Parts: sequence; C-alpha cells; structure tokens
Amino acid sequence: MFNMENLDDIFTAISHSSRRAILGRLAESGPARFTDIAEPFDLALNSVTKHLKLLERAGLIKREKRGREVFISIRGQPLRAAAVWMHDYERFWNKRLDQFEEYFKDKRKKEKKA
Amino acid sequence: MTKSAKTLEFKFERTIPAPPAEVFDAWLNPDIPGTPWHEKDKLIFNPKVDGLWYWLITGTSHYGRFTEIARPNRIQHTWMSKNTLGEESTVTLTFEKKGDGTLMTLLHAGLPDADVAKSHEAGWNYFLDKLTNHFGTSMQRRA
Repeated sequence: MFNMENLDDIFTAISHSSRRAILGRLAESGPARFTDIAEPFDLALNSVTKHLKLLERAGLIKREKRGREVFISIRGQPLRAAAVWMHDYERFWNKRLDQFEEYFKDKRKKEKKA
Repeated sequence: MTKSAKTLEFKFERTIPAPPAEVFDAWLNPDIPGTPWHEKDKLIFNPKVDGLWYWLITGTSHYGRFTEIARPNRIQHTWMSKNTLGEESTVTLTFEKKGDGTLMTLLHAGLPDADVAKSHEAGWNYFLDKLTNHFGTSMQRRA
C-alpha cells in the first residue's frame, strides 16, 4: 500500500473542480505546456500555478523539460491507489455476495435436475 | 455508496432465488460459501442476540457482537478490525420476499473516514477561503 499522508494530498488535489478539469485535460490530450493548461481557464495565472503545485504534491502530475520548454503530464498511479483504498469494503462484500448468490443458483439448478 | 463527513457506508443488494427464511439461515451458516465467515483461519461464532464472533483471516482479526436476529427478515451485528481503526462499525442485513425469491440488502455503516474527512475539511476550507476572499474584495471595491 501507500502511505496515508499521500492519500490526504491526493484527495485534497482532486477536491477542486479546476484541478479535476486540469487532470481531465491532461488525460485527454497528453503532455501540455503551462500556457496551454492555463489558456481555457478563466483564472489568474498564479492560481493555475497554485493548482499545479497541489497536483504535483499529490504526485498526480509530473514536469519534464524538453529543450527550452517544460511539459506537464498526468500520472495515474496515485488515483488508482486512492480508488483501491476507497473500495476495499466494496470489493470485499461484492465478492462475498456474488459467491452467496452463486451458491443458491447452483443449488436451484441441482434441484431441477434431481 | 454514500458518504457523510465522518463515516463511510456501503450498501449492496442481491436477489437470491430462495425464500427469505432459507436465505436468512444460510447467511448464518459459515459452511455456506459467500458468507463473510466462510473462508477462515479461525472462527468463533455465536449467532444469537448478544452473541460474540471472532474471525481470523490472513493474519487479520475481526470481532463483533450480534445486536439483532429477527428470522427471517433482519440480522444486525457489529464489525471491528484494524481496518475500522478500532471503531465499531455496523453490518445490517435485510431479507424481503420478492416473487419466488428474496431481495437481500447489506448495509455496512459507521466505517471511519478519518482521511477522507480530513481532506473534505481541507476542501471546504479551500472553498470558504475563496468565498471570503471574493466577498472581501467585492466589499473593498464598493467602499
């Protein structure tokens, strides 16, 4: 597993619609420059910078220098980790209940055959 | 799945091709696959009101007590493990007749949500700060 501190950072990062929109855009179009990311948003550039810092702290984006330009891209791993954490009990009970339902279906089939 | 600020709950539904009493009895029989206590390293199981259960699986201990046993419609028991951070969560099962079968619901409620709650708080503080800033600046403008 991953540590809980990082989980706080991940949930904080995705708790704002602008940051989710930034992630969505990066997921769709691949690596982008800061100006490309800021352009569709009606936001001050320094608040875009703040959003990117929070996303970076959560490990959800990475910056890469290509020549003189910096490209920003999405990292999916922390989101998957957060989803696994959220759904531990979801998976536990679904697996049990599926087995339970299956047990009765098999039982009915056997009864019909008999 | 619904969430409150402090606890998480998970709700599930299944339609089982057997009458409620049969489904109810099966759920309290650890020999039946799919019951929570079926796969086990150790099990102590006393399914009656105020009866206790202990379940060990892959090194994790789980404990609880039965709080309601109303054949054939309702079972409720508590659930504690390291995953509930020592909190007593609640598992409630209901069995309702649906045609020839049973509509079964399982609600696991009261699971601690410390990390999510903290980040909700962080999220709300973020919004409230923005709102305060917004009104702060618009009032300054008016002045």
